[in-house]
Amino acid sequence: MSNARDFNWSTAFAWFVLTIIGLTAIYSATQGPVSEFLPDYIQANFFKQLGFVVIGLLLMIGVQFVSPRSLLQLSFVFYFVGVILMILTLFFGAEINGAKSWFRIGPFGFQSSEFMKIATILAVANYLTSRRNISAENIRYALISVLIILVPTALVIAQNDFGTAIIFFALIPVMLFWSGLPYGVSLFIISPAIILYLTVLGWQFGLIAALILTGLIFFIQRRTWLTITSFISGILTVIGVQLALSQVLQPHQIARITAFTNPSFDPTGAGWNVIQAKTAIGSGGLTGKGFLEGTQTQLRFLPEQWTDFVFCVIGEEFGFIGAGLVIFIFGFLFIRLLNMAGNHKHPFAQLVTVSVTAVFFIHFFINVGSATALLPVIGIPLPFVSYGGSAFLTNTLMLAICLNMDFHKREFSIYR
Amino acid sequence: MLGLCLIVFGRVFYLQIIQYETYASLGEENSIRQEFVSPARGLIYDRNGVLITDNEPIFSITVTPSNFDEDKIPLLTELLQVEDSVITTRIDEAQRYSWYRTSPLLTDVDFETFSLIQENIWQLPGIGHQIESKRHYPTNMKASHIFGYLREADRNDYESSEDLRLGDKIGKSGLEMVYEDALRGDLGVEFLKVNAYGQSLGNYEGERSGRNPTQGGNIITTIDSELQAYVEELMQDKIGAVVVMNPHTGEILSLVSSPNYDVERLAGRLDRDYWVEINSDSTRPLFNRAISSRQPPGSTFKPLMGIIGLHLGYITPETVVRNTGGYRRGRLYRDIAELGDYDLEKAIAYSSNTYFYALMDRISSQGDLNNWSKLVKDFGLGVPTSIDLPSSTTGIIPDSAYMDRRFGKRQWGLGDLINLGIGQGVISVSPLQIAQMTSSIANGGYRIRPHLVQSIQQSNGEVQITPEVHEKISWVKPEYLDLVKIGMRRVVQEGSGRFYAKTNIIDIAGKTGTAENPHGFSHGWFTSFAPFDDPQIVVTVFLENAGFASTSAAPIASLILEKYLTGEVNRPYTYNHVMNWVPKEDNSQREAE
Repeated sequence: MSNARDFNWSTAFAWFVLTIIGLTAIYSATQGPVSEFLPDYIQANFFKQLGFVVIGLLLMIGVQFVSPRSLLQLSFVFYFVGVILMILTLFFGAEINGAKSWFRIGPFGFQSSEFMKIATILAVANYLTSRRNISAENIRYALISVLIILVPTALVIAQNDFGTAIIFFALIPVMLFWSGLPYGVSLFIISPAIILYLTVLGWQFGLIAALILTGLIFFIQRRTWLTITSFISGILTVIGVQLALSQVLQPHQIARITAFTNPSFDPTGAGWNVIQAKTAIGSGGLTGKGFLEGTQTQLRFLPEQWTDFVFCVIGEEFGFIGAGLVIFIFGFLFIRLLNMAGNHKHPFAQLVTVSVTAVFFIHFFINVGSATALLPVIGIPLPFVSYGGSAFLTNTLMLAICLNMDFHKREFSIYR
Repeated sequence: MLGLCLIVFGRVFYLQIIQYETYASLGEENSIRQEFVSPARGLIYDRNGVLITDNEPIFSITVTPSNFDEDKIPLLTELLQVEDSVITTRIDEAQRYSWYRTSPLLTDVDFETFSLIQENIWQLPGIGHQIESKRHYPTNMKASHIFGYLREADRNDYESSEDLRLGDKIGKSGLEMVYEDALRGDLGVEFLKVNAYGQSLGNYEGERSGRNPTQGGNIITTIDSELQAYVEELMQDKIGAVVVMNPHTGEILSLVSSPNYDVERLAGRLDRDYWVEINSDSTRPLFNRAISSRQPPGSTFKPLMGIIGLHLGYITPETVVRNTGGYRRGRLYRDIAELGDYDLEKAIAYSSNTYFYALMDRISSQGDLNNWSKLVKDFGLGVPTSIDLPSSTTGIIPDSAYMDRRFGKRQWGLGDLINLGIGQGVISVSPLQIAQMTSSIANGGYRIRPHLVQSIQQSNGEVQITPEVHEKISWVKPEYLDLVKIGMRRVVQEGSGRFYAKTNIIDIAGKTGTAENPHGFSHGWFTSFAPFDDPQIVVTVFLENAGFASTSAAPIASLILEKYLTGEVNRPYTYNHVMNWVPKEDNSQREAE
């Protein structure tokens, strides 16, 4: 049996601090003077989140008593249950903000796609580490792993929840790379995303990136076909994006992209969110305007300030000190998690921990990137900080699993 | 991964520390709205302290374009009972003015509509309401040409002045225009806290402080409102102008141009039908005949001719000119006065043309035209009047340079000048100028400046008094004036004025005149002062197409003199004559003058 000293208290503490910061920001965003302009059900979000935190804390503690081996054994069960739940959601789910991702049981609703993140990670990790000879180096196993990820991804896209789909997509290179996919191939897989991002900013950037990435892949892998494929796909990505921008996309979608590249183009329309978010963070200065004193927050200039733009509330009311602290704690959390992964003897535990870290990181990067206008606005919550029961509990559960595997790492040794 | 974390960290550092100033001010501007508070426009009083223009509250509907939802236009038009196009034009204008500021959508709506909007305001984002004010004229005079009207500031106005906003009312004519700066006062500024929906959350309490509006200055005019109303009554249904002036100070007691318009109807929301009506009316009610009409002075010019002739030495009081039915010089210049000998006094009294043809002939042939022109201008003719109303005319008093311009060098001659002696030909003046000339004769040869405003009382208590001009015209000797004044007195006692201008109650002196009108009936003049011994008041009447001035213009002037000097009018016969008067051409008019 593990000793309480083996528990990774500092990581748990990081979780706790982020949760408290989140509660504070949600309080300010829904219960502050701004509440005057908010409907009751949004004002109630703070109290709901308080409830989720309590449940999350119990979950965190409860999970520590589970044997990590049972997670491994049940991973496929979780996966299938999750897929079925998602299919059910697709048919019987409720639509909120255009995404049909809510599954209701009585008064309780949850996003099945959130739960599916854990199930997918566990399933892929289990598959890729179940036998010694399975490795992503082998194209067959790699493709099967990709398929395991693509099934829930397709369902999420069918639910019209684009933000979550990005997370699933991002799992592909991370998980494959960690289980042996060569560097060059991994780079090849993520290169379209990089080229796409830069092409939106300007097709010249996209083209340069495509050439540099192709060169890098060639130097790392020295495989002619991979290099040629990378070159062609890079060019096709640039052309595809250009075509999409000029021909395929609807005006409102283009507006959202223009709003990112040039928010002042339409300051009252699509650029509004970007400008208000930047203004909130920028006007916070070093020390911030003070709790419940942020004019952007309290006068309702920020969109979705309890979820997707919660970072702006922190930036505005607690300044660089508050925003920097959040970034610092996330950085600390990522380092601790990667450290844990490195200490694991069991590849399943390693892969799960790394994947969970990747999921947290992508959430963090996209959320803060959106809020600070580094990225186009993609509605994704900030882990542990944003309001949202399903996301909070899923993230907590994922962290709890990582802590659990770390806690029990001695009994969870290789291939018993 | 840590690299990306550092990028995010760096980005936040950049926004919050390096770009702090930019975003801090952006944030502040976001949540604070500068609202202007209109000052109350200054009031206008008459010379006796009677309030003649004040402000009346009106209800207005406003729009803030950034918050306005265009889908609500049908609802809005339904509630306001106006056409779509009215709303859309106003919203366009408001948008062009400012996306974030509040602009008027519809002013001067009735209380019912105002309440209706108030009830539905929750479903009309960006629509607001406020109480504004419009001009109100409490007395029974119209005085439209004195007051002038206000119009909402348009694009040109607000782009040229920082103090103006779209929809602010500014004076576009009359005293309202000339004294715009004094009357308007200073805009107050109020900083309001607003949320993202543009809802005002009350006053902003912070470093920026607003300022209260400063009420516009009150104007004390020289107008006698009671007299003005009486003059307007007499001028009803006539086309022409009346100027009543204090000959010593230049204070204008009454100034009427007829037809006039109802300035009250232009005060609130623009009544387009009325506006079109008064603009297209062939009698031009918006035209201020009293100061802008340019007419030959006709025989009213003769007294001044006499003064100039005496000064230049071409005539003496004893000079006699025989009227043989006209003056022969190249051709016959007709004179329909009774045949016989005329000295200056009699020539004025019976308006003999021959005397003044001969005088003008002498002045012209001796090369004194330019000298004559200069002397005439000393009496205020042919020079700007400097009255405090917009677009008063200078008129024309020709000199050789003018004649050269008009007809070409050496293309004019004596024949074009002799007519000037009886105020015909290339000479034109406004009724105001004739009143000014008459004043200078009546007051003993002093140049005065006609004006309508005595003083301005600023809201801080400061009083600004309009300086009066009272300077001797150096070359005018009292004996010249005495002579022509007696001539003018005899006009009323024994000349053409005896029928309607003569009254035992007051001693009136005056002179009739006819302005030849190539398009129809001649225009009639009568300029007068009273009492003869101690002139207190000058009245100049000009009637278009009046024909016979002694039966049209003269009785009006005499009634005004009587009304002013005695406070009442006891000549119902004359009054009825004036009120029932219709213009008729009289071929014998010259004779009667």
